[in-house]
Amino acid sequence: MVDELARRVADGARVNAADALALYRHAPTHLLGRLADGIRARKHPDRVVTYIIDRNVNYTNICVARCNFCAFYRPVGSAEGYVLGFDEVFQKIDETIAVGGNQLLLQGGHNPDLPIAWYEDLLRAVKAKYPGFKMHALSPPEVLHISKINQIPVDVVIERLVAAGLDSIPGGGAEILVDRVRKLLNCYGKASASQWLDVMRQAHRAGLRTTATMMYGTVETDEERIEHMMRLRDLQDETGGFTAFITWSYQPDHTELGGTEATGIDYLRTLALARIVLDNFDNLQASWVTQGGKVGQLSLSYGANDMGSVMIEENVVRAAGAAYCMDEVEIVANIEDAGFTARRRNMHYEPLGAPVFRDRDLPRMLTLGTARADGDVSVPDELRGYPARSRSGKQSRVAH
Amino acid sequence: MTTSSTLDHLLDRVTAGGHLTAPEITALAVAPDILSLGMLADVVRRLIHGAQVTYLRVATCACDAPIVDAVPAGAREVRIVGSPASLDAATTIVERARAAAGNRVVSGFSWGDVDRVAVAAGLPVSRALAMLRSAGLEALVDVPLDAIGDADRVLSSLMGAGFERLRFTIEKAPASERQALAERASALQKQYGAIQSINPLPTVPHAFRPTTGYDDVKAVAIARLAAPNVPSIQVDWLRYGPKLAQVALTFGADDLDTVSPSDEAPEGRRRAPLEDVRRNVEAAGLTPVERDGYFAVVA
Repeated sequence: MVDELARRVADGARVNAADALALYRHAPTHLLGRLADGIRARKHPDRVVTYIIDRNVNYTNICVARCNFCAFYRPVGSAEGYVLGFDEVFQKIDETIAVGGNQLLLQGGHNPDLPIAWYEDLLRAVKAKYPGFKMHALSPPEVLHISKINQIPVDVVIERLVAAGLDSIPGGGAEILVDRVRKLLNCYGKASASQWLDVMRQAHRAGLRTTATMMYGTVETDEERIEHMMRLRDLQDETGGFTAFITWSYQPDHTELGGTEATGIDYLRTLALARIVLDNFDNLQASWVTQGGKVGQLSLSYGANDMGSVMIEENVVRAAGAAYCMDEVEIVANIEDAGFTARRRNMHYEPLGAPVFRDRDLPRMLTLGTARADGDVSVPDELRGYPARSRSGKQSRVAH
Repeated sequence: MTTSSTLDHLLDRVTAGGHLTAPEITALAVAPDILSLGMLADVVRRLIHGAQVTYLRVATCACDAPIVDAVPAGAREVRIVGSPASLDAATTIVERARAAAGNRVVSGFSWGDVDRVAVAAGLPVSRALAMLRSAGLEALVDVPLDAIGDADRVLSSLMGAGFERLRFTIEKAPASERQALAERASALQKQYGAIQSINPLPTVPHAFRPTTGYDDVKAVAIARLAAPNVPSIQVDWLRYGPKLAQVALTFGADDLDTVSPSDEAPEGRRRAPLEDVRRNVEAAGLTPVERDGYFAVVA
């Protein structure tokens, strides 16, 4: 059965859920890799592997969602809660531009004390100061959260954010797009599977391009992992708005859910299966930040054609135990060592050119930055201008 | 990617117990296609070991630190780490380790360490080896194929002093030399028949240009294919970590060295060191089996 499936995949046939399950459960890892690599080669015959220089900024860690797999969030009122000031964001953009970056990936907790005006003002301020800089921001659950606390429909939220400067939406918060799993992970409340997909549908209709993600290795079954992929494939058939798919393994350290991390082989098999199932996605990223540089590089033989982001800063998976770091020099070395040509790209996967470090000296980056220095509990001045909803938020602004 | 017909032809040959020629291995090694290399190495691995992956739990003791009296119960080998100051110091630490180890293997030192302390003591290396063997040392940990020079002298000295089941390592040879080193090991095995394992990943990582994932899995696969007469291809679990070590098991490795002997699990039973090893091996579709320092399966 596996041999027959493999022949069909090699011939370019689309697999259904049962086919995908059979391949995932029974195909040898090298065979899955060869099938995925063959599809990668058909879609990207020039042997170019792309990457982006951007910064993963988390504007707040205060969150009411309370997902049990998250080690990053702090509840409302926590002494460790923070909201970045606009000047802090500008400083991060300056640092990103200095190393050749062109985009912020801006995501954060579901903070009840940030009204939509705060997001709009931040986006406007960034665009006014850095006109060409891209804002890849606010995953579907954040868009839903803004919609709920401001009592504004999702399509209007998207329209207002785009008018303020939003360029594209990251695919975070998808976890596994099956409501049974979402309820067990306590993330059904932030967005059901259908709600997550509908935000993306509306974003695509509004002309935005987005990415899609999958965090696996918690409580889902193999069938549910595949159902997640199928739902993404269906939406992509409908809208064509996804630029890329990124999967990573759940990082268990310091989380309420606990447990263990899925293995490296499981990552490579899941990635390869995604390349086979998601035949309408052009780009698959390697998650070196959760798998490390070595397995991240090996991903290029299991279906990935993109090394993701140089990142510069990361806070969320680091909080849960993943602390890998690669700067542009290392990412390019890994791409070239694997026999590919390295090219910078933007969020739309348009080529931006050769590696920056080959044109000018860049400082080496040995560790990823963090949102804030430890112990920094400062409250940005501009927060006073926005009404808070929580008691602690109101008290904080009065005290400030 | 290696074309299907070429790969099928090579797979048929190795499945039937045949070997690849040196030019064939070279062609595979220089190509970016790691999957074909991995498939071939995996076939050879399975012909020798089936689905079995052995692992060794090792208790370490530093050369210059007092030996702890209680070796963890789970340890199957006591390994002395670090370089001894002199032959006397080496002999003393071996005797202490031997006393603490009970019936477990005591290993330690590199070929270079033994050579150095022998010269300092004004003795031939064969005599120093005999003294250490007599004190209870049963295996040298590092016999680096890329640094030992005259391999015949090394093997003759080790075997003459009573060392069996020899383990070869690679210190820091670049990727371009790996195939030649594995072929050298294979030739030595034909001549002496005493080599139990090759650990093909560098024991001394390059400070500015560490190996990549491609480098590592290629090195493992090349060792398996170029030295099919050496029983085991090892990966160091501690040095290379679970993710790379696990993937290496699908590229020809069959043995995991330096697994923690601790059974403590402060983060839960499933995250205990032994459980982590077994979980990773099983997730690779293989069967974990514990072995001792003599490479014998522990019942």
